[in-house]
Amino acid sequence: MEGSLQHQVTWQQGSALPPRPFVARSDSTDLAALRSRLGRLLKPAVKDQSLRPQLADPQLATSNPTLTTVALEKPFCMFDSSLSPNKSYSVYLYAMMESAIAGSSLVTDHSGKPLNSTFQQMSGGQLGPYKAAVFSVPNCASPPNPADAADINKVADVLKQYLFRVGDDGTCLHDPNFLDVCNPPLAPDTTYRFKYTLVDNTDGIMKDQTLWSDPIKTRRGD
Amino acid sequence: MAKDDNSVRIFQGLLILGNVVIGMCGIALTAECIFFVSDPHGLYPLLEAAENDDIYAAAWIGIFVGFALFSLSVLGIIGVIKSNRTLLMVYIILMLITFAFEMASCITAATHRDFLTPNLFLKQMLERYEKQDTDNNNDKLMSEGVTKTWNNLMLQNHCCGVHGPSDWQQYGSAFRSTHSDADYPWPHQCCVLDARESPVNLDGCKLGVPGYYNSNGCYDAISGPMNRQAWGVAWFGFAILCWTFLVLLGTMFYWSRIE
Repeated sequence: MEGSLQHQVTWQQGSALPPRPFVARSDSTDLAALRSRLGRLLKPAVKDQSLRPQLADPQLATSNPTLTTVALEKPFCMFDSSLSPNKSYSVYLYAMMESAIAGSSLVTDHSGKPLNSTFQQMSGGQLGPYKAAVFSVPNCASPPNPADAADINKVADVLKQYLFRVGDDGTCLHDPNFLDVCNPPLAPDTTYRFKYTLVDNTDGIMKDQTLWSDPIKTRRGD
Repeated sequence: MAKDDNSVRIFQGLLILGNVVIGMCGIALTAECIFFVSDPHGLYPLLEAAENDDIYAAAWIGIFVGFALFSLSVLGIIGVIKSNRTLLMVYIILMLITFAFEMASCITAATHRDFLTPNLFLKQMLERYEKQDTDNNNDKLMSEGVTKTWNNLMLQNHCCGVHGPSDWQQYGSAFRSTHSDADYPWPHQCCVLDARESPVNLDGCKLGVPGYYNSNGCYDAISGPMNRQAWGVAWFGFAILCWTFLVLLGTMFYWSRIE
């Protein structure tokens, strides 16, 4: 099955325990059970079962991608094999243009820590991946219910828990006081690829990562 | 002589009846055209900006023609009752002039309807909606008219764009040059709004979540009233003209028989 043991695992010098290697779920029944739990949120099980960021369900986000934004489904149940019960983790999302040089598609430095690259440093993804978002690990056990999107009181939570909109913030580039992770609009008619990484909050080391997503092209305006 | 008298009376009666019908139709035409000119749907600025407001010109002519028909029908009735050649001659000449005007109005309304295509309104919407850098005062007025009309259309009919919200994504527009796609994939009037006219959920609207944005296009809301106006003026006018033609023929025959 394509994807098993394909991506890099960083080995930290002198650490007591090697990070657990990422194993693609070749057991299709396990995946099917997880997908059925998420109900209509997920597309039907794709032939390529290696885990990578997916576009948000087109029934929920009907206009996706737009000229400068891409809405991605959050990584539900993708990192479960790497989570330890007593530790806190975060998910980092990296984005880069497909035209970026293949060699610079690493998202960690030599010590296993995830890169702190920004949109501006990477020229919007042309030179390599930039960090677009940091958020908490999505809850695999109780994913958001897509039917709740119809309820105006719950829709904000459902959208926040289910997807992330890359390119949402049009002002952070020009705001000198902005200290958080900047997620500026993407370029139209350009192909991007995205990657989620799992980072341990205590030591800041990357514990797991997905593959780079399939190329996703933003819309082209005339 | 009695038979002659009877047939004359019958013919007079028919002419009077014909003129009564013309009079009533004239009033109806005036009323219909006043209704159209009053622009209840507020779509006139779109036609004005397209420089193609001939269906409104046709409606204006219809108002005056209707009134003229009513007055002339009264003149015709008096002329037939009195069997006065002068009166009837005046009636025939004026009726022919009115006939010509009404013919022009009907043809204008019928043919200009063909200009009102979705692409015309799409192009206009993309070029003028929220256009900020206007060349001159006329341009500014037209753009403001188009912007205001579209805002009203989208709010009242719960629609977006001409074919749908994808119009704003697929084509470049004046709106796109001043509003970023990240914040405004389409205007916020396309969102489902609450009582205070702010979007119920802005993120849902921007993503296109069903129920939080208007997914259908406004073309039906534009073309419906305009087609009704064009057809209403054109076909009612043609119907009146057919009837008037018959009455005119009868009146000319009657006039020629008065000694």
